[in-house]
Amino acid sequence: MATTALGTLYSQLQQAFASSDLLQTGQLLAKLKVGLITAGLLVPQGDVNFNDLVVAREILEIGAFWSIRTRDIPSFDRYFSQLQTFYNDYSSVLPPSPREYPIRGLNLIRLLTQNRIADFHTTLEALPLPADSLASNPYISHPINLEQWLMEGSYSKVWNAREEAPAEEYKFFVDSLMGTIRNEIASCEEAAYNSLPIKDAATLLFFRTQQEVLLYAQQRGWQVDLTGGTIAFTKKGEEKLEIPKDKLITANLQYARELEMIV
Amino acid sequence: MSDVPMKPADEKEAKQNVEKTGEKKPEEPKKQPLPVPVEIRGNAALIDRAVSTLEPRYTLRVLRTLSALRKRLTVKILSDAIEAIYPLNSAVKPALLQWLPATEPEPEKEMDVDSATPPTPTPASTPTRHTNIEPVPEVEVYLRLLIIHFLLANQATYAQSLKLSQETVQKIQSLNRRSMDPIAAKVWYAVERAYELGGELAEARPLFLAAQRTASLRHDDETQASLINRLLRNYLHYNLYDQADKLVLKTNFPPSSGNPQHARYHYYLGRIRAVQLNYSAAHTNLQQAIRRAPPATTAPGFYQAVHKLSVVVELLMGDIPERGLFRHPVLAKALTCYFEIVKAVRTGSLSQFQSTLSKHAAQFEADKTYSLIVRLRQNVIKTGIRRLSLSYSRISLRDICVKLHLDSEEDAEYIVGKAIRDGVIDGHISHEQGWMECGSQKSGYGFDVSDVFMRRIQYCLELHNESVKAMRYPLNAHRKELDAAEAARQREAELLRQVGEDGGSFDDEPGIGEGF
Repeated sequence: MATTALGTLYSQLQQAFASSDLLQTGQLLAKLKVGLITAGLLVPQGDVNFNDLVVAREILEIGAFWSIRTRDIPSFDRYFSQLQTFYNDYSSVLPPSPREYPIRGLNLIRLLTQNRIADFHTTLEALPLPADSLASNPYISHPINLEQWLMEGSYSKVWNAREEAPAEEYKFFVDSLMGTIRNEIASCEEAAYNSLPIKDAATLLFFRTQQEVLLYAQQRGWQVDLTGGTIAFTKKGEEKLEIPKDKLITANLQYARELEMIV
Repeated sequence: MSDVPMKPADEKEAKQNVEKTGEKKPEEPKKQPLPVPVEIRGNAALIDRAVSTLEPRYTLRVLRTLSALRKRLTVKILSDAIEAIYPLNSAVKPALLQWLPATEPEPEKEMDVDSATPPTPTPASTPTRHTNIEPVPEVEVYLRLLIIHFLLANQATYAQSLKLSQETVQKIQSLNRRSMDPIAAKVWYAVERAYELGGELAEARPLFLAAQRTASLRHDDETQASLINRLLRNYLHYNLYDQADKLVLKTNFPPSSGNPQHARYHYYLGRIRAVQLNYSAAHTNLQQAIRRAPPATTAPGFYQAVHKLSVVVELLMGDIPERGLFRHPVLAKALTCYFEIVKAVRTGSLSQFQSTLSKHAAQFEADKTYSLIVRLRQNVIKTGIRRLSLSYSRISLRDICVKLHLDSEEDAEYIVGKAIRDGVIDGHISHEQGWMECGSQKSGYGFDVSDVFMRRIQYCLELHNESVKAMRYPLNAHRKELDAAEAARQREAELLRQVGEDGGSFDDEPGIGEGF
């Protein structure tokens, strides 16, 4: 590292992070990032010192964890894209970091909670692991399982898995994941049921009190029949289909013209 | 039609090339017995003609024989050809000859130098003009291409071929001749092979990107198509689907490029789309790739690779591939493990699916389809539910749970709910009674049907128009027709005269003459 000042800041950062002092970690991170930029290590180019790269990577990793602890997802996003250089391009030079897979797994969960399934799979393909050993890595297999359950619709398994997170940080995503699931279930219910007792709706949607259900029903615009204790779902897509006259006419005219040209 | 190996597997490619050599037989039966040096010289003459007449057709004909030719190259043949094509004091000749490994066949080479004059006179009778006129630079690049392919055939000379290909690329770019484009496209393929066999595929990327930009600025369609495919293959080799997708977004694949390039492009596109869960787009692309690919026996490697992916994508879309596909002579062996997966999905049995998956994991991993197949799990369930919904009009959630080996009734309820929302089945759940009621089947007529029909008609019309546009007429051919018409007119006049001469007996029927 170019200056000793950065070195002391770095050891301070490690201490602050270990004692989970979020405020101080944040302040130190901001200073360190400026330091990294001046040392040309934030986006390393050309030949740089091997040890400096390891330090830079660790600072960014701490930054990624810190952003999740402070629930700052865009910041996590930034740290992760900066880390990708270290993980992908320098993977042959640097020793593997113990934090690499937890962070990659967190990124996967983030994509899942934002319902970016296509990105999720693209990221999964790009992982430097052979595909059949993914399941043996606890940090990666957790998001993979979640995705699989979400896709096949075993929502109760997702609900039960929220306590089995392999790292502390994973739990920060659980809340938003539950929101995603709830919306999924609600849209399924709208399609699959004509009406549903409020009590059952509460269990299906993982709500504890009737009050919460009513509030949620209001949000989604469901018709609640309080006396009968049921929720009725309005059927969509039953409207009468009309013949698309314009489309058919233009198509037929076009055929006529083409036929004319052929004959 | 040449070199379609998509998988680096060398034996596959070798097999493919053997097949390809066979394929040339019916097309050019006379070519086969021709000795290779003569063929190379003939090709050089063809390229010369292509450049002088501005007719790329001849160059394409030369390149079609490339794959057959490159299996039969030897040092002697190459040096003979170079000696024969270039005049004695040409500056290019030593530059080309230096690339040929001199050490390996030492005695042969020695003989070569001695007999440098004998081979020239023998063929000199036919291509006399080549002996003192310097050939066009296209010929030089073509010869360089042959040398690269020759060097690539031997592991010891990989590094040398890489150097030569880099030099050739520089030469092409400094010459900047439009008549060179088709050959340049082939050279790029050789460059990629050189990098890949040298094990540094990633380092070729900046070179390809720069060349792609230049090619698109120069409207060099063939090279551009070739380079886009090189880049996509490069990205996918390292699983960089994100970058590959961005490349596809930012570039336009030239529609005028040849079928093999199109087939490759569609295959790569299909792979990207499949990873992004856009299965219907992936399916369309793979279909295109299959249709545009050379016949199965010509390029079995590509044919198998595309079909492997296409089977998985079809399953992911919820369709079952046709049984006949797995009996195809070229595919039968390659698709055995995929066939087992298909069987598991078809019966909707989760346990069978899991066991097949773990049994063939290595194979799927090698084909890079493992993660796609893992996604099939939900399709197994969906297929199961669909089968149930077709055979029962009402079924209890408990029974669904038992039949599909699900963990709990609660799960079953969610899964069925999701299936209904996703449009897999038509029906609704009655929570109080705990059963699923299936709706009636939709009729086969509707607007989506007419849409599909419309699309097909559109396709046929387009095909017709394209083929009309693609028809070629030889120059001055209309003159022959004109002559024929002239002759007919003369004959008619003759006839009329005869009729007139025959006399006045026809005078009362003047209409006959005009009627002719």
